[in-house]
This record gives sequence, structure tokens and C-alpha cells, in this order.
Amino acid sequence: MKKQGRGIATIMFGFGYGEGFPDHAIASAEIEEGGKILIRTAAADVGQGVLTIITQIAAEVLKVKPEAIRIIPGDTHLTKNSGSSSATRQTFFTGNAVKEASEGLLSNIYHYASIEFRSNHVELGIKDGYIFRNDNPKNKLSYWELAERVKERGDSLKAEASFFPRTDIPDPKTGQGKKVYVAYTFVTQVIEVEVDTDTGIVEVLNVYTAADIGKAINPKNVEGQIEGGTVQGIGMALMEEQVIKEGITLNPDLTSYLIPTSMDTPHFATLLVENEDSEGPFGAKGIGEPATIATTPAIANAIYDAIGVRIYHLPITPEKILKALKEENKRGNKEGF
Amino acid sequence: MEEFPQGLQNSKDFSGGDSKKCQRTVPCQGYFAPQRIEEALEILSRYGKEIKIIAGGTDLLVQYYDRLYEINNWLDLKNIKELKEVKINKNQMIIGAMVTHTQLESSEDIKTYYPVLSQAAADIGSPQIRNRGTIGGNIVNASPAGDLLSPLMAYDAQFKLQSNQREMIVPAEEFFIGPKKTILQPNQLLTRIILPLPEEKTYGCWIKIGKRKALAIATIILALVVKMAEDNKTVKDVRTCLGSVAPTPIEIKEVRKKMAGKNFNQLDFAELGQIVEDKISPIDDIRGTREYRKDVAKEIMINALEEIDSARRERNY
Repeated sequence: MKKQGRGIATIMFGFGYGEGFPDHAIASAEIEEGGKILIRTAAADVGQGVLTIITQIAAEVLKVKPEAIRIIPGDTHLTKNSGSSSATRQTFFTGNAVKEASEGLLSNIYHYASIEFRSNHVELGIKDGYIFRNDNPKNKLSYWELAERVKERGDSLKAEASFFPRTDIPDPKTGQGKKVYVAYTFVTQVIEVEVDTDTGIVEVLNVYTAADIGKAINPKNVEGQIEGGTVQGIGMALMEEQVIKEGITLNPDLTSYLIPTSMDTPHFATLLVENEDSEGPFGAKGIGEPATIATTPAIANAIYDAIGVRIYHLPITPEKILKALKEENKRGNKEGF
Repeated sequence: MEEFPQGLQNSKDFSGGDSKKCQRTVPCQGYFAPQRIEEALEILSRYGKEIKIIAGGTDLLVQYYDRLYEINNWLDLKNIKELKEVKINKNQMIIGAMVTHTQLESSEDIKTYYPVLSQAAADIGSPQIRNRGTIGGNIVNASPAGDLLSPLMAYDAQFKLQSNQREMIVPAEEFFIGPKKTILQPNQLLTRIILPLPEEKTYGCWIKIGKRKALAIATIILALVVKMAEDNKTVKDVRTCLGSVAPTPIEIKEVRKKMAGKNFNQLDFAELGQIVEDKISPIDDIRGTREYRKDVAKEIMINALEEIDSARRERNY
């Protein structure tokens, strides 16, 4: 028989290293020849999309199209430390460093342009990579023309910035601190499952997610992170298990250590809560790890809702479900007498 | 006394501590890709055990993943066109050994006459594996979890084995003798799979239990085929074939006795499920426990009987 159930789980996740660790990121922005703006950062994009985010941030601050941004990522000769792609920290840390470097570059553009135009920055306007006096917008200079002029002065048009927030080491006795992490991401998931009580097989049908991420710099990317993270959570809930016998791992490869395939992926509906209430770039917070955490408890709750039996050990395999149902039956029969 | 080695000797010394083990005793001698069966049989008679036959490679290349150098001679069947055909000959379906799973799942004839086989092919691995893997490879690999094996047994398949001396036709049931073991001799090639065309009122059900929906080796397989008499009520004959529950794919013959001649409406599905549970001998392994397989075998047998019952009722004669 197939039984459906629905479960809910809410999580909060303090991201970045936090706890007083000297966590920071450095980035630079410069006008380079050939009509591009060069961003240097060591942030590693391992598929999560940090380079897309950085491109958007720099283009937004400098008021150019994303196509005008070029990035040199992760090169020990050419970039400075941006910290690891871990702890859900790159959008927040490197995003802020790039935003501040871009703002520094923009300030320098105003500064040198005010010299060129013999004017004050409040009288200058900027549009699509050009700077001009508001009273004579036709007489304009592109960033790149301005950079040439700056070069003639023996200077260069660029800026570097770092983002180095302070966090507190929690009190060893109470575990409390004023600001242990830079910010917290909140996620709630409601998950619907169908349990086949003949085979114990669980199918995850629908996943509804509400994620408080401050600001989605790239909403598609955030949804992608949530879907990918949820599928990892499904793996943890239903499949992933290292089997060890006498010290030997019996499933040391992806043929035998199973994770969900695209065929095991449910339907998704995602709501992004954007209060822009963090110190991240444009109020953004991290979503990498928070995306996977609520899934497993929500599925465990949904299974309980479907069959009335609670499983306490992960993964919740078909074997465990059938066994639990059998025991429940026996108990029920006894009570019946 | 130490002497600095010269020339080639030098490089040999740097090849690692256990250099002998890594060295190939016999270099790769031959790769053959004949266009006709006769040529393949001739090559096979010359090399016997000393040659590996490759069809789609979806099992062989995984088995030899890190020791392909152990294979000295290859017989590749990819160019033999006549082994890639599905055709009807009088009252038989003839399937070439090199027919891929994709061909099987997309063949209208297979879908019409052997729906259980068609669905089994569609459930194998992934699209890439189905494009490469072949029915012949699935059979000679003889995995207890081989997806096509139970359906083939359920449809009374026979296998044509050829050597350059003679050819023989054996029932599927006699072909498998253990996990990854068959009666196929080193000089023999499986060339064709022969299936009798089923009678009109034949119903089938395919159930594969795996740990996920794709790319999963079966935890348990059931291929149930029921032949009904003219009245569409009386059971004429039945094949209950399972995979992943014994050293080879097996048929539960006791079910035949219980069901033959009976009115389908009066069958006790739970009793038949119990027979299946009692007659199988699964093991505990990474894909499932013995207890789980026994429990599920019973339940999926009941589910399969229910499915066939509703298919039977839907059909109007």
C-alpha cells in the first residue's frame, strides 16, 4: 500500500568561520586596456557560481554591463587571499571585498574625472562606462579614456579592498558570544513523501522551501543551490551509508555508495525571503550548506506522518521501514489481545 | 661493488619496486573485429581462453577497469551486422546477441509480444549504458542480478550457441549454472536469443526493486508471465522468475502447479506470495538483507498478481 505524508523542518546556520577566526577576503578592481574592468580574486568557483555573483556585484557598482567585467580567479601570482570556498562564506566575504574594491575604483573614477572636468564629483554623472558633467553630458569620457589620462599623470586607475569582519570567541563556559558568526541563514522546508509499505521504498514527491537569504544576488543561482543541496539531503536521509566490515569499506565507489540521480529528484517550489538585513553585499547571506540541512529531518518527519512509525537511524532504508512496520504490527496485535 | 647502470637498464631500475609484476609477460597481440559470424568463430577456435569477447563493454570494461593490460587479445563483435537484428521468423522472435537495451526498449514488436522484457530493458542503468550494453552481454555475464535474465526465462527463451564445429540450442534455464557462471565453452559464441511468440491471452508483469530509480543494480527482480485460456479466466500456464535472490535467475516451479487450471478469480494471492518467499534463498549483501528480500518477494508477487488481474479484467474479448 502507498501512504503519503508531510514533514517540516526549520534550521538556522551561522556561516563563515566565525568564533574569532581571522577570516577575510581581498579583491581588487582596475580599468584594463581593451574595454574591460579586471577583478582579481582567489575565490574558487567549484560550481556554486561565486564568479557569476562577483561579476554581477562589480557591474552593479561600476554601472557597466556584466560583459565588461573580466575576472582573474585563483592564481597565486596574480591574486591575493580570498579564503576557502567553504563554510558558506564566498558570497558574503569575497562578495563584500569585490564590492568595496569596486566602490574604491568608482571613487577614483570620480576623483580623477573631477580633475579632468575641473569640477566637483557632485556635478558629475556616470552611465554605461562613461563619466560626464551633468551640465554638458555630450562631453564625456569613457573609463578607459580616463585611465589613459591617469596613466599620463603617472598613476593608475584601480583599487584594492579587503573585508575583514570581527567575530567573537564564544565564552567557553556558556557558549555565548556577542557576535559569534557574521550572520545566520534560516531555511524551512516542507516535504511530501510517498511510502510503499510493501517494499519500504520512499519516494520524495514535493519539496517546498522558504529560505531567508537576505538578498538573492542571482535568484536562479540560489534556487539551484537549494535544489542541489536538497538532493544531497535526500541522499543523507534515504541512501548514503558507508558500510564497513572488519575495517574494510565495502562500498568505496559510486557504483555501490549510492547518491540520488536526477530520476530520484522531486518537484521543487522555492520562496526567497529577502529582507536585506545582513552586512553582506546588498544584504546577501550564504546558502551553500544551509540548503541541505533541513531536508533530512523534514523527510524523517514526513515518513513518520505517512506510516506512524519513527525511524531514528539514518539512512532510512527500505529494510528499516519494513522492519519497523513489522514490529509495530506485532505490538499492535498484542495490544489487540 | 656498485656499478652505475647504463642506458635502458637505467630506466628499468626506476620503474618501481615491483617492476616484474607490472611488466606484461605477453604483449597485446591481437584485436579482431570481423564482419561475419564464421570469421568470429574461426578466431575463437584458434584463441579459445586466450581471447576476450567484447560486445558493449558495459560489464567487461568495469571488471577490467584497472587491469585492462591483462587482456592480450580482443574479439570485438561490433561489425557483425546480422547480430544486431530483431526479427520474427514464423512463430519465433529472433534477437541477435548484439541488440542493445535501447533497441529492445524501443522495438514495437518486443513491446507488443514481450512487455516484461521491454520494461526490463528500459530499467537498465542509464541511457548511456543502454546504448552500449547488449542482450548477449547481459546473458553471458550471468550476474544473479542481470535485468534481462528473469524476463527471458519467463518467456521460455532459448539461446543459440555456436562454435566452428557445431551449433546448439539450449533453454535459458539450463544456461546459467552459478553467479557469473554459464555452460558457454571458450570456443563458443552466443549468437541468437530465440523466443516463442506468445499466445494471445498472455499477461506479464515486471517489478524491479533497487536502491534508487536509475543506475541501480537490482535488489530483487520479479518477472511474472501468465498464459490464460480462451475464457480469459482459467490459468493455462505461468512462469514466476526472480533475480537477485539465488546464485542464478530462478523460476519458482511450485507456482505453476498451484495456478495451472485454476480460475484466476479463485486464486489465493497471499498463499502464492508465501510460496515465492519460501522457495527463494537470498543472501545478505550490500543491496539488501536476506530478510528484506524474503519479505519483499512475497509482497511484489502479490502486487504482480493484482496487476495482471486488473489487466485481464480490462481486456474485452
